Amino acid sequence: MKKGLSLLIIVYLLGFWSLSSGQEHQKPQHFYNVDTEKKIKGTIQEIIMEPRYKDSSPFLIIKLEEKKTHQKFIVEISPVRFFTHDFHKGEELEVVGSLYSKDGNQNIIARQIRFKGEIVILRDKRGFPAWRGGGMKHKKRRKGKGF
Amino acid sequence: MRSKNFLLFFSLPFIGMIVIFFVLSSLNRAYIRNKTEDLVKEQLEATAEILKVDISHFLRENYSVDEIFEPYSRRENIYYMALLNENREILSWRSQFEGYLPLSLQSAKNEESWIIDSPAGKIFNYFSPFSVQEGKAYFLYLGYSLKNLEEMVVYSRRNFFLIFGLIFVIGIIFSLGLFQLQRHYLEKKREAEEERKEKERYREISAFTSGVGHEIKNPLNSVSLIFELLQKKAPVYLQEEVSAGKEEIQKISRIIDQFASYLRPLKLSKETFSLAELVSSVRGSLIKESDKAEVEIRYVESSSIALNADKDLMNQALINLLRNSIEAGSGGEVSIKAQQKKKKVFIKIEDSGQGIAEEDEQHIFEPFFSRKRKGLGIGLYLTKKIVEAHEGKIEVQSKIGVGTTFLIQIPGD
Repeated sequence: MKKGLSLLIIVYLLGFWSLSSGQEHQKPQHFYNVDTEKKIKGTIQEIIMEPRYKDSSPFLIIKLEEKKTHQKFIVEISPVRFFTHDFHKGEELEVVGSLYSKDGNQNIIARQIRFKGEIVILRDKRGFPAWRGGGMKHKKRRKGKGF
Repeated sequence: MRSKNFLLFFSLPFIGMIVIFFVLSSLNRAYIRNKTEDLVKEQLEATAEILKVDISHFLRENYSVDEIFEPYSRRENIYYMALLNENREILSWRSQFEGYLPLSLQSAKNEESWIIDSPAGKIFNYFSPFSVQEGKAYFLYLGYSLKNLEEMVVYSRRNFFLIFGLIFVIGIIFSLGLFQLQRHYLEKKREAEEERKEKERYREISAFTSGVGHEIKNPLNSVSLIFELLQKKAPVYLQEEVSAGKEEIQKISRIIDQFASYLRPLKLSKETFSLAELVSSVRGSLIKESDKAEVEIRYVESSSIALNADKDLMNQALINLLRNSIEAGSGGEVSIKAQQKKKKVFIKIEDSGQGIAEEDEQHIFEPFFSRKRKGLGIGLYLTKKIVEAHEGKIEVQSKIGVGTTFLIQIPGD
């Protein structure tokens, strides 16, 4: 009886520990972190659509391979309904966005993309999504200037 | 007051007042806005403190962070919130906008509040530490919507511009009203001044003509008596000339009498006579006195016109006009065209003389206004008086180098 009770207490404590430690180590969903902004240039490998945020419509996601390093990135563009441009596999894309790692993958939440000479602004400098106010902005590329 | 003076007198103080109102109102609005922002910040900081207490309580009760955040995420005024551990690692966060959490952990201080602009409006940000139990610290990051404050600011701005616009429009209407009143007053004042000057001149003319008339009348009476005697004693072959001379003297006497009487309201002695006969008589008199043989006076009437007027006065009026035309016409012709329409007679006297300058046209019927070397400037003045005494009108149209036309309109027989 004593032995059984001790086992029960140990199981309970272990369960509580695992629950509380699980709570602390559970990774939260990623946000647009201005501190991890990065610019990459690569080739489109794959185009997919998947839900990203709670109660949000599917997002356009692009798998991109960086030209120089051949490193792969998963780029979150915007809700599909918002994005009006056509992407094709093999096309070049330049992305400015917030970088984070998840499940061993390098992810980017795109703020601005350059595609076929046109700059498309998807979020403002602090990461506010253009589809929630302000609208998508387009800029024509200027000669001799990157972004 | 000229337009420039009007601008200085009315518009500048008004514009100045509007500018002062605009500046003071803008400063006042800015002050109220700053104070309101401070107040809102204080209120939101206090609310965040309460929130921290609540969260501390739930953490102590071992609720998961997601569970704790769930009720807050449904609140419209909280745009985003995050809970960070003591190492500033985000444990959980919520945002009404996909992926939007404008927190830079590199630049965030331990405790601060700030306001940012976003397409969703101004957002009050609050970053502050709190402890749940000894040795365990957290950070709370909140983003409150300042939509209500902004709506108040927009409402205030809209009201301000509405009031400003109303004051501006009312001010413009008021200024225009003042301008109209002032213009009307000045017009009346000018008319009164002109009337006063005319009366003054009229008094001078009266005094002058009375004196002249008196001086002429006495010798004229003597000459008339001499002609009476001459008529009695003159041979038969001279009777006609003496009679004509006597008639002319009597005419001069009558004119002087009338001239004097013009100073008083004219008393008309009306009779019915043919206009053609009157013109013929006037033409005879003028041809006799004119040294310009080439001047031709032509009379044309649409039908036989009879006038019921003072013959002598009308004679005088026509003589004055025709004399004026003859003297102005350098070798041209003077034509008189008469026409009767219903009960009105229109007489048009045209010459092909040098014409009257535009600036003189409005003055030619004024007494003693003359551009001639010998003229006294009374003829046209008297003509106008005579025509108006017959309830008629007289107008002049002239063009330099082309000629002058006098238009008389008087009631017919």
